[in-house]
Amino acid sequence: MVHRTPPCRAPEVAPAPASPEQAWLPYQPGDGRPWNLGVAAHLLRRAGFGAGRARLGQALEAGPQGTIDALLRPEADTAAFDRAFDEHEGRAAETGGEAALRSWWLRRMLETPHPLQEKMTVFWLERAAADGARAGEARVLLEHVRLLRQHALGDPRTLLASLLRDPAMLLGHGGEAGRRSRPNERLARHLLENVTLGPGNFSPEDVHEAARALTGGFVQGGRYAFVPREHDAGVKRILGREGNFSGDDLAGILCEQPAAAESLARALYRWLVADEDEPERALLAPLAEAFVREHDFGQLVETVLRSNLFFSARAYRRKIKSPLEYALGLILALEGMVSTTELAQDLAALGQELFRPPSARGWAGGRRWIDEATLARRHNLAADLLRGAGRYGDRLDPYEVARRHGCEREDSAARFLVDLLLQGDADLDAGALLQAAQEAGGNPAATLRAFARALARVPEYQLA
Amino acid sequence: MPASRRAFLKASLGASALVSFTGGVPRLLARALAAAPRAPERDTVLVVVQLTGGNDGLNTLVPFTDDVYGRSRTTLRLPAAQLHRVSADLGFHPDMQEFRGLFDQGLLSVVQGVGYPGQDRDHGGAMRAWHTAECAPGGAQSGWLGRAADLAWNPDSPGVPAAFVGSIPRPFALSAEETVVPALRSLEELVLRETEEHGGAPSDNPLLQHVRGVDRRARANSLKLEPLARQEGAAAGYPDFSLAADLHQAARLIEADLGVRMVCCELGGGGIGGFDNHANQLGNHCALLRQLAESVAAFIRDLQRIGALPRVLLMTFSEFGRTVSENGRRGTGHGEAAPLFLAGGGLAGGLIGSHPSLVDLVDDAPKHHTDFRRVYATVLEPWLGFDSKAVLGSEFAPLPLLRR
Repeated sequence: MVHRTPPCRAPEVAPAPASPEQAWLPYQPGDGRPWNLGVAAHLLRRAGFGAGRARLGQALEAGPQGTIDALLRPEADTAAFDRAFDEHEGRAAETGGEAALRSWWLRRMLETPHPLQEKMTVFWLERAAADGARAGEARVLLEHVRLLRQHALGDPRTLLASLLRDPAMLLGHGGEAGRRSRPNERLARHLLENVTLGPGNFSPEDVHEAARALTGGFVQGGRYAFVPREHDAGVKRILGREGNFSGDDLAGILCEQPAAAESLARALYRWLVADEDEPERALLAPLAEAFVREHDFGQLVETVLRSNLFFSARAYRRKIKSPLEYALGLILALEGMVSTTELAQDLAALGQELFRPPSARGWAGGRRWIDEATLARRHNLAADLLRGAGRYGDRLDPYEVARRHGCEREDSAARFLVDLLLQGDADLDAGALLQAAQEAGGNPAATLRAFARALARVPEYQLA
Repeated sequence: MPASRRAFLKASLGASALVSFTGGVPRLLARALAAAPRAPERDTVLVVVQLTGGNDGLNTLVPFTDDVYGRSRTTLRLPAAQLHRVSADLGFHPDMQEFRGLFDQGLLSVVQGVGYPGQDRDHGGAMRAWHTAECAPGGAQSGWLGRAADLAWNPDSPGVPAAFVGSIPRPFALSAEETVVPALRSLEELVLRETEEHGGAPSDNPLLQHVRGVDRRARANSLKLEPLARQEGAAAGYPDFSLAADLHQAARLIEADLGVRMVCCELGGGGIGGFDNHANQLGNHCALLRQLAESVAAFIRDLQRIGALPRVLLMTFSEFGRTVSENGRRGTGHGEAAPLFLAGGGLAGGLIGSHPSLVDLVDDAPKHHTDFRRVYATVLEPWLGFDSKAVLGSEFAPLPLLRR
């Protein structure tokens, strides 16, 4: 007998803030400003890769600001976790190469007690856009990720200065031989155009002079070496400043530029808030000003996450899940673990191969993640992940998860899954879906797997 | 492609003040194209077959009356009587009878003496040049077909503008900056194993509208592809070669009308080996050329059967030709110029350009007289309707390959 599930309630989200001042004030739930499962799941998707029911429950309990406190400063022993994973990854880089490294990184994203840090590490990975094919050895890529992770929520000047001594960054952008007689403009241009200032905010002379500041930097045997006699010690004129600048100076100069502040604030907005919304300059101004004043990227991330804007309709479901967010979100929600070696290959087929950005601008992202081929492959990936057999095994078991949370009957387990995966955001006839799943299934475990597969195919589920 | 759309492409590409060429092809350009209405399902298609390893052009289209050929190829010389002659001096390899048949019907053209300046005869470097259309080592992060795919992508109807069909990793030629170009072993990968209709109240969220639209079309595609993906190559007259199987899948992709404009396949295995015959070339080269000729001929017949031949053009390429002399191991070394083959219904047919001299050589290899980017420009602009300059970075004069 089929139990009809009641129609899902409409999502409840605060309206977009009226002014830039309102936008960045911390969100306080209250009249018209809900704190419910939908909004909590939104926070955990954006500030990480999604969450299971227990984590969602904790968030509901702690409230938005308390949850963000824990996201920024996890109570768990992150140092011990990092030590263990650093060891795994070090071994993987030695023996398994780039593919093994990718696999371990996905695993780290799934298990980390500090998901926000990993999420922002991927942000900087996209911004740095170093082509892993040029790195030569996996150790170089491992060091690249460690550096990005270490500074992902820190001082962008330090991050930038470190990147300018990072073998993966230099090799990835053809800057491994900073000869005084031939300053490398490719790396310098990338730094100005894609990492900091953005197009149109510098001149060809700035690129040339920045390249001069970087001379003396070499990659030898996969390690950075500064060769003083190759460094051009003359006076450089960069963005109106004059002096005998080095790479470190260059990092500092770039981070003082309002254009860099605005460009990074815009990128962060797109990363955390919305794919296609073009935020007006006045809206970004407080972020950009704080960037130039404090040089604290973690603070910027915190401001965005805590804000009225972040919890409003202007942000809610206004991003398309990257393949990474799509797959990891499903795995985290279902409290399981799968082969991340397989997963890394499937993500590459969906267009997101870590360490292999399609261009120096990183991945295009947004709606470019979804076309007629990638969407078909997303659906087929969910089918594989939730088949209960085959290359992903049977460790994702939606019925077991529902039972763990007290839902024994198929219809209540189905309701549980709708709340877990969609929080009522999709206009769907769960009863009909369950009936179809029962026909495909046979036993409750198979039925709920089929039901979860159907939920993962819902258009709303593709939105972050 | 209707004239109006082509005119639009030209008009919008002409006004390229916003276009910046740093690091490849401009996003703004793609945005400008967004406004173009999607071309009808009956758009032209380009199929590119990569011959990996450096094909020996001299033993593919053989200059059998040239004494230098006879003298230089002491063990690899092909007997004139066994060749399939296409002119008084040239004949296809004995195993390429099918190419002669296509040639006689005007369905096959040969562009002779194709290469590029600065050929360094290194597999990696030469392949990269053909893939990126950038002949001096530069920073290109995308391939020429990938850039064309970015141009073809229409946000209102994001179909599958390009695909690789085969079992090696996707060739770099298909690397795009924004479009995810799929590498398919089989069309099954685009068939939805389970599916249902997704309704829902109208939404003002453009991203949700986008996903819903793509979802509807992916389901419709799947319905079209499902019966096609189940078809057997043998039933459609394809021989039992991997290239034939891949071309059979490519034909089904074209038949399904998903808006695909460019398909890439490969012969040779992608890595070491294939056409790279440094020793005992004869037997291996025979086998590869037979696979090429028979697979392409089966593909052309298949396209004829489904009525798609007038809108499909196939071209081959290989990273370089080979040396005129043998190397003492019944093989040949890395060379330069080689012939390139085109097959399809829209061709002018015949031999294009002269056979390169076997006397005026560069380091024992025939010199090129036709830059391969002129072939690219021809298949991109008059054939596919893209602005070739936007893809290739500069202007290349098209060749008289197409029937007017």
